[in-house]
Amino acid sequence: MAKSQTDNSQLKNALSRSLIFVSGKGGVGKTVVSQAIARALSRQPGKQKGKAKRVLWVTFEDPFRPAGELKEITPSLFELNCEAQTAFEEYTTMKIGIPTLTRILVQNSLVRYLAKAAPGIHELVLLGKVWYERTRWDHVVCDMPSTGYGLAMFQSTANFADLFRGGPIHHDAEAMLETFANGTECSQVIVSLPEEMPLRESLELRDFLTRLFPGNAPALIVNRRFPHDPEDPASGRPDEDLSPLARSPEEYARRRARLESLNLKIWKEAGVRPTELLYIPPSTEPPKADRIPDGIVEKLSSELQRLEVLPS
Amino acid sequence: MSVQTPVSSRIDHALQNRRILITCGTGGVGKTTVSAALAVRAAQLGRKAVVITIDPAKRLATSLGLGNLGDQATDLSGALNDVLKTKGLPMLPTGGSLHAIMPDTKETFEGFIRSLTPSEAIARRVIRNPIFQIFSREFSGSNEYMAMQRLLGLQREGKFDLIILDTPPSRNTLALLDAPKLLARFFDERLIRWLVLPANKIVSAGMKKALGLLEKLTGGAFMTNLFEFAAALFEVRVQFSANLSKVTELLSERSTAFLLVAAPSRDTAPDAVHFVKSVHAHGFHFEGILVNRRLEHLGLCSDKAPTGTPPHVARAFEVISALQQRESLAMVDLIESIRQSNEMREEGSVPLCLSLPELARDVHSLSDLHEISLALERFNPA
Repeated sequence: MAKSQTDNSQLKNALSRSLIFVSGKGGVGKTVVSQAIARALSRQPGKQKGKAKRVLWVTFEDPFRPAGELKEITPSLFELNCEAQTAFEEYTTMKIGIPTLTRILVQNSLVRYLAKAAPGIHELVLLGKVWYERTRWDHVVCDMPSTGYGLAMFQSTANFADLFRGGPIHHDAEAMLETFANGTECSQVIVSLPEEMPLRESLELRDFLTRLFPGNAPALIVNRRFPHDPEDPASGRPDEDLSPLARSPEEYARRRARLESLNLKIWKEAGVRPTELLYIPPSTEPPKADRIPDGIVEKLSSELQRLEVLPS
Repeated sequence: MSVQTPVSSRIDHALQNRRILITCGTGGVGKTTVSAALAVRAAQLGRKAVVITIDPAKRLATSLGLGNLGDQATDLSGALNDVLKTKGLPMLPTGGSLHAIMPDTKETFEGFIRSLTPSEAIARRVIRNPIFQIFSREFSGSNEYMAMQRLLGLQREGKFDLIILDTPPSRNTLALLDAPKLLARFFDERLIRWLVLPANKIVSAGMKKALGLLEKLTGGAFMTNLFEFAAALFEVRVQFSANLSKVTELLSERSTAFLLVAAPSRDTAPDAVHFVKSVHAHGFHFEGILVNRRLEHLGLCSDKAPTGTPPHVARAFEVISALQQRESLAMVDLIESIRQSNEMREEGSVPLCLSLPELARDVHSLSDLHEISLALERFNPA
C-alpha cells in the first residue's frame, strides 16, 4: 500500500485542547477510550514543575454512579457524574444569586417538570456544567451519550442561541457555542468500530458537528481494529461467494481482517484518515455495575502513549 | 416437550404461535440480522411474516429489498423462492410469505400527531412549534414509541400472521419498554393544566414567582413557545392516553412476546435478568434469549500461536482466544442465572436460550439470511 491510511496528527491536535468531547454510536467503546485519554493526559507534566496535569473525566447521568458525584481517582485525575437536576440547581443559584428565590424556583413542581420534560433545557444544563468546569482543569474529557442523544445536547445549545432570544440562558448558550467552535479551546473526537453501521453513523456525526462548528473539524478513531496484515493483497476485497461462516480460527482471523478493510473504505472514500487503536483482548473478569475493567483502560492508555498522540 | 427436542424447534413453536415478536438488545449485537432471519424461517413454516426494521445497515437493507425507504411492505416471497430453488430446496408452503418494512419515523410521528388532533389547523400549529420540532427530532423515546405505533397499525390491518419488530438501536435494552412512560411524562395532566387553563392566572403567589423567575432565565420567546406547545399537548391528551392504553394492551397479549438478542459477554447474564424482570413487571411475555456472535464453532483457539506465525496472526489468536474464554464464562453465567432466577422461568417453564455464530462477513443477500435461519437448527441441537 503506497500511502498510509492512518494519520495520528488530528488526534494529537484534538488532545491538546482543554475541552475534549468524545462521541460515537452506542457500544463502540467511547467510555473506555475517553477514560484512557483522561488517564494518559493526567500523566503528562503540567505547567507547575514536577506536577502532572489536572484532568476531569465527565460522564452524563450514569445510573450506576451517585448523581453529581465528583470522585478522585488519582491526585491529578477526577471523575464527575454530571446530572441535570444538580447542575440546574447550581446554575440557578449562580444566576439568581439569592438563595430564597432559587429555592422557590427549583422546588416548584412545575419548574421541575419543565426542566426534566421540556426538550432542550435538560441537555443545555448538562453541557453548561462542563463548559463551566473547563476553566478549572487542564483538560476536561467528556464521555458523550451515544450519537442521537449526544447530538441533541449540541443542537439544544444551538436552538437556545438561535430560537429563543433574551434571558441569561440565551446569552450563555451563545458563549458556549463560541467556545465549542473555537479550535484552540475545544475539540471533538469521534470513536467508531470497523463495522459498517458505526462507520456510516460516524460520518453523519462528523458532518453534523462540522456544520454546527465550522472550522473545528473532529478527529476520528477506529477502535478495536482486529490484528491484520497491512500488506495483504486481498485486503478489502469482498468475499461474497464464500459462506458467511468461517470454519477455523485462521479463516475467521483472515476474513475478519479483510472485512474490516472493506468496511474502512467507507471512511477512505469520505477522505477520513483516522487513528487506529488495537483490539485489546477483552477481560474475563465478572462485570461490575457499568465499570470498565482497569486493565483495559491501562492498556489503551499505553497504546495512546505509544502512538505519540499526547500533547507534550 | 421432551428433553430430546431440538432447541430450535422451540423457536419454531414461537414463530408458529406468536403473532408479534419483539427483538430487543443493545447496539451491535446483530438484532436486525437475527430478526430478518427469523422472518425467513417463519415464512418457511407457512406464516405470512413481516419484519419491521428501523435502521438497518445498507448491505442488509439491500438484501431485504429496502434499498430505498420502504414505508410500505415489500414482498420478498418471490425472491426467497428463487433462493430456495437455487439451493434445491422446497418452495415456501401455501400461506407462507416474507415481507419487510422500514418505516420513516419522522413521517410517522407527524402522522401520529395528525391522527390525535381534531383539526388540521391544530395539527399544523403543533408541528410548526419550534419546541415540538426539537422534541420530535431529539426526544430519545420517540423512535421507540413510533415503532410501537406502527405495530398497532399493522396489527389492525390484519394482513400478516406474524410481525417481527426489530426495535431501534439503543444503549439501553429497556428503552422500548420505558418509552411510553417517558412520553406520558409530557402529558402529566395536572402540570399541563397549570400552563394552559385560564386558572393559571389565579395561581398561588409561589407559582407565579417561580414562573416569573423561569421566564427571566429562559427569555420570553421560549416561554411563549412552551405555553403554546403545552396548549397543543393539552388538546391531544385524551386521545394520547387512549392510544397509549391500546399499545400497552397489544403488548400484554399472550400472542406478543419479547426476545432478547445479546452478545456472548459477561454483562449478558445480569442484563438478561434485569430485562426479564422488567418485561414481567410491565405484564408482558418473555420468549427467550438469543446469544449472537458466538465463536465456539471455530474450534478452540490457543492463545499461543506456533513459532514462525506472523505477528498479526499471533495477535489475532490472542484476541480470538480471549473472546472464546469470555464467551464460555458468559454462557456459564447465563445458564446459572436461568437456573437460579425464578423470574426467568415464566409459569415454571425454562426460557428459550438460543445461539447463533459470528459471521465472517456481512449479510449480502436473502440467501445469506436463509443460511442463518438454517444455522438456528445447526447451532441449537437437543
